[in-house]
Amino acid sequence: MRTLFRAALLAAACTLALSAAPRTAALAADPVRLGVINPTKSLVGKQGQQGAVVAAEMINADGGILGGRKIELVSYDTNFLPNEGVAAAQRLINQDRIRFITGEISSTVALAVLQLAQANGALFMAAVPKHPAVTSGYDRVFRLNSTTAMDAKDFDAFLVEQIKPNKVAVIAENSDFGRLTIAGLKKLFGDKVVAAETYEMTQNDFNTIVTKVKGSGADVVCLAGSNMEQYGNILRVAAELKLTAKRCVMPGILNSEGVRIAGPAADGAFSADIYVTGLDNPLNQRFVAAYKARYNELPEKIEVLGFESIWIVAKAMDKAGDATDPGKVARTIHDNAWETPRGTVRFEKNGQAVAGPLINLEVIGGKLVAAKP
Amino acid sequence: MVDILLQQIANGLSVGMGYALVALGLTLIFGVLHVINFSHGETFMLGGLLTLIATTTLGLPYLAALPLAGLGGAVLGWGVNRIAVRPLLARRDGGADVLLATFAVSILIHQAVVMLWGPAPARIDGVPGTFELGPVVLTGQRLFVLAAGLALLVALEWMLRRTRFGVELRAVAQSQFAARVVGIDVDRVNGATFGIAAVVAALGGALLSPVILYSSSMGQVVIIKAFVVVVIGGMGSVSGAVACGLLVGLLEAVLGLVAGEGVATAVIYSLLLAMLLIRPQGLTGKRAR
Repeated sequence: MRTLFRAALLAAACTLALSAAPRTAALAADPVRLGVINPTKSLVGKQGQQGAVVAAEMINADGGILGGRKIELVSYDTNFLPNEGVAAAQRLINQDRIRFITGEISSTVALAVLQLAQANGALFMAAVPKHPAVTSGYDRVFRLNSTTAMDAKDFDAFLVEQIKPNKVAVIAENSDFGRLTIAGLKKLFGDKVVAAETYEMTQNDFNTIVTKVKGSGADVVCLAGSNMEQYGNILRVAAELKLTAKRCVMPGILNSEGVRIAGPAADGAFSADIYVTGLDNPLNQRFVAAYKARYNELPEKIEVLGFESIWIVAKAMDKAGDATDPGKVARTIHDNAWETPRGTVRFEKNGQAVAGPLINLEVIGGKLVAAKP
Repeated sequence: MVDILLQQIANGLSVGMGYALVALGLTLIFGVLHVINFSHGETFMLGGLLTLIATTTLGLPYLAALPLAGLGGAVLGWGVNRIAVRPLLARRDGGADVLLATFAVSILIHQAVVMLWGPAPARIDGVPGTFELGPVVLTGQRLFVLAAGLALLVALEWMLRRTRFGVELRAVAQSQFAARVVGIDVDRVNGATFGIAAVVAALGGALLSPVILYSSSMGQVVIIKAFVVVVIGGMGSVSGAVACGLLVGLLEAVLGLVAGEGVATAVIYSLLLAMLLIRPQGLTGKRAR
């Protein structure tokens, strides 16, 4: 019994010593801690999180910010649930004393976290959430992803001028995004929209919908659903049922995971997005190489947005000469342009990021590539 | 229009066979053990995952992956029964405890798969080719699901009717007490029933995952439909589950065509409600077989 007690005492002492050690060492160059929230148990959440990790590692490899201080990420899972997102943000603000929150995929989570950020004067750099209300009326909130309205502006012109459909069918998920897309296409094409089908977010058999679309005689089918397993499967079923219409995936959705799920059935499908892996600029090449080395995969849009959320906040802290005042860092973000893997990013007054026009994409030989103009 | 209707009927039957396969195990366990097994959907998912691992990581052909999935299902079923069902059944409110325990098991399995394998969905290439019968197009895999499902059902029905074990199983379903009196090892029959149900679920997952794609949440989605099928078909009735699975699949497909997917879903859940109100014993009307 006594030996057991001694062993326990020794273990406790060791733990104490270990936890105390970095604290004393850190006095010389205290790391700058940034909060990251993501639904890390989902694939997209993991992708965003990994992008953030690569950003921190690249900055630290360059010697850190503010004269040698390293970036340290404090990450929490939001599980796609607003209440868990709020709990994560609360932990960051109250327990970890961090007032810089980055990341997230879901709009509902971001909107909930936004309230808390606003109440505490924290800076919130939302990576992926697309809901327009994320950037409305708080001077310390930013959004890196494009909104559906921004996507539509570029893509509508492309559909009308280049694709020139005679009859359009829409297959959309039953969500805000899906319904907005149907409304938008109906406004754009009027009577030319011959079928508009919605499916539930849990649905996994699409034969009925594709059969109806095939029966409508549409020559272009637009898919509007954010779940890759769903649009990937729709593309597959379309090929199986010998649907000959051109297949268009609404902007911002198509990624190589979806292409992989669809398999050969994805060939010829087209879309558009704010980023493609093969962009030709030095920072992107460095980012892609670093990401590949770390995770043995090629990064795509979600990873880049996760990367940017850390990259821009850290660079802005460096430029502002301050890592504690969210207001000062927010003003610096607003006043400058930021180089990221997708090019130069600026922020509108409401915090919305703007970069270049959408890049047209197509699937050729199972690969998602920039379309030739 | 007739062309599309025929296509939808074919679609509906193939989807309905999927529902039937999942509902079958659920109803079998309910009929014999009088408990609801919430982890059934995760067994279905695991069947899909094993098929994925077998066809990609191990490089086996799809058909060779099926027995592996069935074996995996059997092991899981045995384990779930041993850990979360058998020890609780003897209690006074055992049925409710088993419901909660299997619910816990289903979350454990799901989270374990997400943690160990990852959340990414994946495509499984099943039986290749498409077959055209006039205007109706069916993929090889969908035909295979129909054929294999039918074979599985016939085998199960034969086992229930013609083997000694089938007689024992039906006896236990009717009355555990009477079965014990005539010397039937009720625990063994319960365990075997659980195992068979799990094998059918895992095979269902292996058969359907090439159609609906493998994803870690495929079990959660399918179990809800399976509950609907079981309740409408009659809790504990094997033939009811099969007939009702096909019926729900057909209804969904045809109503989806004529009135839209939303209406189809509404009709099916209204049917569930009406059934519970008017005919709680289900379509086939037998409480247990």
